[in-house]
Amino acid sequence: MYGRKVKLRFFFIILVLITLILSVFLVLKSLEENVVYFKSPSDIKTLSETNKNKIRVGGMVKKNSISIKEKKLNFIITDFENEINVSYSGAVPNLFSEGKGVVAEGYLKDKSFFLATKILAKHDENYMPPEVKAALEEK
Amino acid sequence: MRTKIFPISLIIIVSVIFVIFYKGLQNSNVYEPQIGNQKNIPVFIAKAFETEEIFKSEDIFEGDKFYLMNIWSSWCAPCRDEHKFLLNLSNQKNLKIIGLNYKDKKKNATNFLNELNNPYDFIFNDTDGTIAIEWGAYGVPESFLLHKNKIVKKIIGPIDQNSLLEIKELIQ
Amino acid sequence: MASLIGYYSLNIGFSISFLIIFFSIKNLTKSKLDNKIIFSVFFQFFFVSLSFLGLVQSFISSDFSNETVFNHSHTTVPTFYKISGAWGNHEGSLLLWLLVLTLFIFLFLLRSNDQPKKYRILTLLFQQIIIVGFFVFLIKTSSPFNYIFPIPNEGLGLNPILQDPALAIHPPILYLGYVGSSIIFSSALAAVVTNYISSSWAKHIKKWILTSWIFLTLGILLGSIWAYYELGWGGFWFWDPVENVSLMPWLALITLLHCTLVLEKKQILTSWVVILSIATFTLSMCGTFLVRSGILNSVHTFANDPERGLYILIFLFILVFLSIFIFLFFYKSEKTTINSLFWLSKETSILINNWFMMYFLSVVLIGTTYPIFLEVLSSEKISVGPPFYNKLIIPFLVPFLLAMAIGPKLKWIKSDLENKLSLILFLIISLLLSTFIIRNLDINFLINTILVTSAFYLFLITLKDFFSKKFKNLSQNLAHFSFSLLILSILFNNFLSTEIITNLKINETYENDSLKINFEGIEQRDEQNFKAIIGKFVVEHNGGQTDIMQPELRIYNQPNIITSEADIKTTLYKDKFMTMNSVQNQEYFNIRYQVKPFMIWIWLSTFLISLSGLIGFFKKRYEN
Repeated sequence: MYGRKVKLRFFFIILVLITLILSVFLVLKSLEENVVYFKSPSDIKTLSETNKNKIRVGGMVKKNSISIKEKKLNFIITDFENEINVSYSGAVPNLFSEGKGVVAEGYLKDKSFFLATKILAKHDENYMPPEVKAALEEK
Repeated sequence: MRTKIFPISLIIIVSVIFVIFYKGLQNSNVYEPQIGNQKNIPVFIAKAFETEEIFKSEDIFEGDKFYLMNIWSSWCAPCRDEHKFLLNLSNQKNLKIIGLNYKDKKKNATNFLNELNNPYDFIFNDTDGTIAIEWGAYGVPESFLLHKNKIVKKIIGPIDQNSLLEIKELIQ
Repeated sequence: MASLIGYYSLNIGFSISFLIIFFSIKNLTKSKLDNKIIFSVFFQFFFVSLSFLGLVQSFISSDFSNETVFNHSHTTVPTFYKISGAWGNHEGSLLLWLLVLTLFIFLFLLRSNDQPKKYRILTLLFQQIIIVGFFVFLIKTSSPFNYIFPIPNEGLGLNPILQDPALAIHPPILYLGYVGSSIIFSSALAAVVTNYISSSWAKHIKKWILTSWIFLTLGILLGSIWAYYELGWGGFWFWDPVENVSLMPWLALITLLHCTLVLEKKQILTSWVVILSIATFTLSMCGTFLVRSGILNSVHTFANDPERGLYILIFLFILVFLSIFIFLFFYKSEKTTINSLFWLSKETSILINNWFMMYFLSVVLIGTTYPIFLEVLSSEKISVGPPFYNKLIIPFLVPFLLAMAIGPKLKWIKSDLENKLSLILFLIISLLLSTFIIRNLDINFLINTILVTSAFYLFLITLKDFFSKKFKNLSQNLAHFSFSLLILSILFNNFLSTEIITNLKINETYENDSLKINFEGIEQRDEQNFKAIIGKFVVEHNGGQTDIMQPELRIYNQPNIITSEADIKTTLYKDKFMTMNSVQNQEYFNIRYQVKPFMIWIWLSTFLISLSGLIGFFKKRYEN
């Protein structure tokens, strides 16, 4: 039969292959579970059903739409075609203001109400998140 | 056999990654100034200078008329030099002058216009300079003569006597 | 004037490149290294430094006829930040890259006298290819010396977020790490061509690996500290693409370091070493591409320009293809194969941990680039969040930590575990310790106990070795010890952090079971280029202890941006952290108060890790 060396080598290759396949499988599976999709308010209007996954919504904060209570911050994200109401309790980034771009991460309650768990800030006042810009440009 | 499969597959994989990155670069939402003569003008959404309301560029640039889109700023010295030519042009009946106030402060810009008079029919705000980039502007001042959503002429730098005459000729 | 000098020196430096290439090719067949080469390399470095100083001087004197200065500076910016503004932008930072590139190749030539001549020349040639690439990139697409006419009398200002001491020195240090890997790349290619992958090469290149690894570690640490107090999220790592991009070369470097140790001792794993050397620099370049081209959505924003992105991409792939071809044509595989490894030996344990590190690296790489792939293939826009990384990395930390503890105990070639009893004893102690601690916390028991056990295990074993081994292998032991300290601090920081977020008006009070926050008022202060609004909060804990927290809002005048400065009270056990944000047109302020245990230990242990690298750098050779 085969020598000890060949056997060992064979065993080694199998081991490497198995680990490789396993890790690829693992990575793909958790990618599928942990990916956050980006939608604009218009995308949400055209959704056939609202599912429970975490998503990001981006657009402009509508003028005069920010209102604040002790626990909750409410505002409206618009892409100049459609709008969505957002309710949020948590820390607000500095660059969050009316008429500026915003990305909110959280869960859809229904097609016009979004419960945000995080509002994303950017370092630059000139900066509009690329997704938001793209979403606005498609109009 | 085995020794050949490895390098070939390696090269194929690397090439695929290259292509994907290249494609990704193309739809990567960055500001791409693609403007030359005779192309449709880039559309944009911006605040009006005085009222701060948000306007779409389509609402301002209507089809048949001639427009002069002028990029200016209060801190830019040559903008002062070209101002008298803009005032001259504002008397033309078939030409509307649209300003794009580039990276400016409202207070300074208002002072500038009060001091030198306002030749503009409408002014957009471009606080962060992105619209100017989309229009492919090289700097301030810069002017675009528009007709039917096309750029007829582009004037880089301040308008002078020659370009003034040229504009007048073109809009006849 | 300074700008003009900078411009011309940059072009002179570029032309010297061709001189160097010409000299080197002529010198290839000669037996001795021509002094002309060393001189021209020095002059190239000199002119690039001059060019860089020219840019810095233009920034200091606020010369707004220079476009870069105009875009990124302002007369009211403090001088320190005017200087740091020179590399806080795309153009200037590339010039800094180039400066480090030329500096490192000059140092390399000085420090490699004992190496074969042909190898040195080839390294220089490969390095010059990279340098020429960067020169062309800089001069063609992002010249820092563009002239504006008419000269504006005021600049557009420096992004206030960048006006911070940690972030001022963060880029140069990080670049020393990134660019240091270019030397490793060039010399690995040169060593492959000259068939010089040997233990003497390993010994020589190890210093360069350590150098760039130390700087990269410090660079990441600084960036992380900055994110902690400036971004106001109270975290230190967000799995943001930009952070990932610096973590990937770090992982590759540390893997490479371990491989060279094996290579130095045993003449095996040569292909690993070569591939990793190539990968490290490729990953650094890839990072530059991802960040600068705007292809990824990240918190760092450099001026995005597709032309630049395309240029880096093409350059990157030229380098990748070049190295693949060199590897395939010139690389001669080692005679001793993997079969000669005995399962219980130091090299096997290093190899196993390298596999783990490669796995971590792939996870980060996939998480970072997956959004690009998906967008191209299906035009869906997505982002990959922290849960992805946590889920894939944390479970594998357990065997990784255990191997880190046991591996150094093994001998080269073939070994038997000595002191089995004490090893098992330590395992039991750490198991008991962590069970005891975790039981008193309200968290998932099983996974956390296993995790904490393995971290404690490494911690105790390395701690014991400090005493029993009497500073033999100090750098290795310190590095592993600090790593366990880092993991432990991160874990307990995660378990024990508490956070309160609320909106308060002046004179309002927030109250819960354990504390009371009273918003007493705000005051204003004027600084050189910003106004500060300082909030005064009294935090009363149930135990009767009170803290006064004074978070700040800074309103910068040019550009007009608001930033918030956290107020952080640091002790050895915990940080108390408060930020305050204003909400537009509202009288409420958004308050975030956090208690974060062991924050300082996270910084300290990372610092110790880089310190251990420094010790290793000055040590004569790897012992044992």
